[in-house]
Amino acid sequence: MRKANTHTLYWIGITLVLFPILVVLGIYMRTVQFGQLPATQSWFYPMMTLHGLGMVGVCYAASMACAVDALRRYIEPSGAISWLALAGTVAGVVLLLVSVFLGKFAAGWYFLYPLPMRGNWPAWSTVMFLSAITVLGATWLIWSVDMLRAIARRYSLSEALGWHYLAGRTEPEVPPLVLITTVSLIACVACLVAGVIALALSFADVLGGVRSDALLMKNLTFFFGHVLVNLSMYLGLAVTYEVLPEYAGRPWKANKIVALSWNTVLVVFLAAYFHHLYMDFVQPVVVQYIGQVASYISSIPAAVVTLFGALMLVYRSKMRWNLASILLFVGLAGWAIGGGGAGIDSTILVNMKFHNTLWVPAHFHTYMLMGLMLLVTGYFYHCCQAATELPEKPSFHNLVILLLMVGGYGMLFMFYLSGAASIPRRFAVYPAELAHGAGYAGLGALFAALFLVGLIVFFVEIGKRWIRAFRVAV
Amino acid sequence: MRVIIVGLLATLACCGAELAQAADLQSSLRNEVRLVDRRLPDMPLRLGDGRVVQLSSLWRDTPLLVTFFYQRCTGTCIPSLRLIRDAVQQVGGLGRDYRVLALSFDDVDTVADMRLQADAMELASDPNWFFAVAAGKNVAQITSELDFGYWRDPSTGQYVHESLLVAVDQGRVIRALLGYPIPLSRFRELAWELRGSFVPYYEVPGERLLRCFEFNPRTGGFRPDWGLLLLLAQGVTAIAVALTVFNRPAR
Ligand code: HEM
Ligand SMILES: [Cu+2]
Repeated sequence: MRKANTHTLYWIGITLVLFPILVVLGIYMRTVQFGQLPATQSWFYPMMTLHGLGMVGVCYAASMACAVDALRRYIEPSGAISWLALAGTVAGVVLLLVSVFLGKFAAGWYFLYPLPMRGNWPAWSTVMFLSAITVLGATWLIWSVDMLRAIARRYSLSEALGWHYLAGRTEPEVPPLVLITTVSLIACVACLVAGVIALALSFADVLGGVRSDALLMKNLTFFFGHVLVNLSMYLGLAVTYEVLPEYAGRPWKANKIVALSWNTVLVVFLAAYFHHLYMDFVQPVVVQYIGQVASYISSIPAAVVTLFGALMLVYRSKMRWNLASILLFVGLAGWAIGGGGAGIDSTILVNMKFHNTLWVPAHFHTYMLMGLMLLVTGYFYHCCQAATELPEKPSFHNLVILLLMVGGYGMLFMFYLSGAASIPRRFAVYPAELAHGAGYAGLGALFAALFLVGLIVFFVEIGKRWIRAFRVAV
Repeated sequence: MRVIIVGLLATLACCGAELAQAADLQSSLRNEVRLVDRRLPDMPLRLGDGRVVQLSSLWRDTPLLVTFFYQRCTGTCIPSLRLIRDAVQQVGGLGRDYRVLALSFDDVDTVADMRLQADAMELASDPNWFFAVAAGKNVAQITSELDFGYWRDPSTGQYVHESLLVAVDQGRVIRALLGYPIPLSRFRELAWELRGSFVPYYEVPGERLLRCFEFNPRTGGFRPDWGLLLLLAQGVTAIAVALTVFNRPAR
């Protein structure tokens, strides 16, 4: 029995509440695209905004919570900052809810300038939305810096980044968790700073009427968005490196190649976001090529090293399969499949066709939903199970996994098919020319509902353990 | 400290004045963009030298700049024509990259008035400048196609009207400049496009805060601007934070 950490339990609770609600919004959007619920069409874009930012926020916060929890074995984060992170995130979510539900703010999750200032929603809801991101951004910035501080108490920068492995030494031993988290946190500081600058310029527009350069804003915004989403995924991988070995009964250690691939990530992935600006002809052409090359270099080595490592870990081991280890394993697979879809889309030649089609939601839902969310929930289950050691029912659990897989991949498949059939993203209702999009949407909604059923059953399983663990911890 | 506050206030005041002006420009800019891609109707024109030509023959070989005026105008028409003439002289390319048509919208103007106007501007012998009148219904058609409004004040006999210059390529509007006076730099940008070089980036009036790139309409050059530095800020900050946080003895 391993007592669960109180902060982690709060984060699990928040995720268990928010995640299914946001999934319901996803199903709602697919239903409207199917042509149903016509009376609620005007809510499509506010709900899309809430779903997008909500999911990205939950993914980031939950994966950060996992990493912090796993890191507690090695370092000691500040208690006060842990509470601040919780409080700030809840406050940000409340502001977001007000902006979307009362103000009908609907500019999409990355609030691309100047849309937030030009929509048909009241200016106060824009201010409220920007404030929500400000609160979240500031909170997460403090959280990240505090984690770096905690890591720095035990490791030097060169150790935390595994540079001694690069130099051929193996001592001191640094867990991949520490290495990958350090890389992610440094990137996190960069992306949140970009977010802060974009927010400041947005506020200057809403409140002071000072116009900004749209190209500059787009660069800042996508640096922020791309890096935030990617580093969340890296945090999910980091905890997988830590936990999967417990089930395999073998260590999964850092070495020269692991260190090399993650240092490459740190250097290169900050330039990969240029793939979001392929259609911006004003951007100098050389930057477009940098974007494509950086997208490849930042994803392929780390993916190959991680997947190869994971397969080697599991191959011929006495693997103990339960909900946690299965979720972590299929989460890795989802991350790789989605990464493949993303790689295709980051190729300029393909992007010319796929830009802003549903191919984009297809690939990012693959690694976020069937990748990161499964890693995170797998880790959460791992914590709750370790804290309670309730008996597990393997056949029942396999059914849960089956529901999640069939529902999740079915829904994704509909996204991919729509994308390949040139259905654009962000259309609430499909006009006659895109009528074939509606059928995919309907099937997508059905599959997503199946996923939701699996999720609810799973949450009942983890919920029982969470309540027990919570009683013991608090 | 006080110096800084006074400085800040002064800057703010300047910004305010500039913003008000920028707002005007912004709205005219929006109206300009609306005109892009409109197609002009063809029509017979009677030129100052007595020839009768089709409008389409004027844009067959080079793009055509079209502006409206009337000869008796005591307001902006004549100064605006002079401004265009001077800008054309400074920017160059007349005849090779474009030609210019000044079309009267006043039905009392005659061919003789057109010749007078060309003479007065010392453009009568320039083969690339055209002063023309057209039939009333054709004038009504082309001005309404370009949303060009004019209204005759019966007490003075003068027209209340806007100032418009459109660049037309094969009958299609590729750019429009609204308002008087036209800034020379905007005219230069227009000239680059008429020359066939695509201008991907130019200053939108009032949006001068931190741009990524700068297009120099004099040289046609394209260079990075200060805003681009902002994109380095996040990386530099992250490195600085990492170095600061880790700058202590380990363990
Ligand atoms: C079963 C679960 C989910 C369903 C049914 C679902 C459904 C949808 C739908 C229908 C859209 C709109 C697509 C369009 O543009 O037409 C969307 C957008 C989006 N979803 Fe999901 N989603 C799910 C899970 C997730 C997860 C786990 C994430 C995690 C990051 C996520 C993040 C987003 C984002 C960022 C957008 C884009 C919003 C925007 O364009 O501003 N979704 N989702
Ligand atoms: Cu990206």
